[in-house]
Amino acid sequence: MAALWRSIADSMRTLLIATLAFASVPTFAAEVPQKIDVSSFPKQAKVIDDVVVPVPSEVFNVLDKLGRPNWEDVLRSDKNPVKVPADQAHIALLLGTVISEGFIAVEAENSQEVKKIGGDVQKLAKALGVEKQVVQHAKAIIAGADKKDWNGVRRELDNTLRDVKEAMTELSNDALSQLISIGGWVRGTEALTEVVGKTFSKDGAELLHQPILLDYFERKLSAMPAKLKRSELVTDVQKGVLEIRPLVGLEDGTQISDKSVREVNEVTKRLIKSIIPKSN
Amino acid sequence: MNRFATTLLAAFALIAPSHAYSSIDDALSFALEAAAPHVKQGFTVREDYWGGDLPVKTTKAIVHQLFKGNEYWFWMGTDEKGAKISIHVYDSEGNLAEVETLPSKPHFAGARVVPKKTGSYYLIVEIEKSPQERTTWALAYGFR
Repeated sequence: MAALWRSIADSMRTLLIATLAFASVPTFAAEVPQKIDVSSFPKQAKVIDDVVVPVPSEVFNVLDKLGRPNWEDVLRSDKNPVKVPADQAHIALLLGTVISEGFIAVEAENSQEVKKIGGDVQKLAKALGVEKQVVQHAKAIIAGADKKDWNGVRRELDNTLRDVKEAMTELSNDALSQLISIGGWVRGTEALTEVVGKTFSKDGAELLHQPILLDYFERKLSAMPAKLKRSELVTDVQKGVLEIRPLVGLEDGTQISDKSVREVNEVTKRLIKSIIPKSN
Repeated sequence: MNRFATTLLAAFALIAPSHAYSSIDDALSFALEAAAPHVKQGFTVREDYWGGDLPVKTTKAIVHQLFKGNEYWFWMGTDEKGAKISIHVYDSEGNLAEVETLPSKPHFAGARVVPKKTGSYYLIVEIEKSPQERTTWALAYGFR
């Protein structure tokens, strides 16, 4: 029985079903307490290794409600197919970036760009050895773009991200899986800061308040295998995450200033320039 | 088959069971059953799930980034008919953040959150009672 549960637990990890073992907290009585003491969490939080990383759709869903930005201005449109970098860490970061670009192309309702991104995703996934897992999604992305089924494309992009990460984890390459997430987060954050920076709003800026995610990414980057840490790009990304961390508010409810939004934008823009090969 | 049913089936198929996980998958199927009316109301179910097993009167905390502007439903399920399970959501200061819960029923628990601020939240899941020593549970969530 114990072996079965170990097997389940291992499989769940590979499925990116974020492990939840986490802190035990005092049990509740029948009445639900209106307040609990989370001050005891930091000590227990030592065992909290994973957090639930939101899917990009969650952020875009809020942005949709905040107004109608000109997404074409934010989109990094490129007619040339993506150039595949030689380094695996770089490919992983780029793949995350390209998937994020897909969400922006959906916001812009740019069918051509979405279709190109579907092909780029497949190409990069192939370079990472996980093409099989994304073929169907890539086809669905392209078909969705033809039909202008934007919700369907968003769903496929979310699923692509999930499946490619799962596949990397199954190949015992959790570090690359994390880099895919981080690449996606960097591009998403660059786009978010661009949108919010153009017409600053407190609510828009608040979307940047993601300290647990930044801490999580920093932990993952610090724990990268030596081979990946030797990559200048990975080091740059880690530095960028550390630069951004104090800008997005330490406490929940902290107001994030226009200046901070611009600074986060500068850091992410710098990182994206390094991640996207120049010939692209 | 209507779109809602197709969506649910698709969601379930994508996180489809292998034999080794039958119990968690059963728990998940209850969580997704609880999700069904909310999907009809426009909630998008994230096609990942969380789960495990817990002894009675033990809780787990899950840290989750939530965004103000979204509305969330968290659905917890168990395949153990005699179990009573619960999920509650607290903000980073420990204040109860849920605005609605599912009525107490065998197999299900659920909490709806409309975050007042963007930030970290704690999902507290618990097996309140169960005839089993350890009870399998699964958690899914959706947003709109």
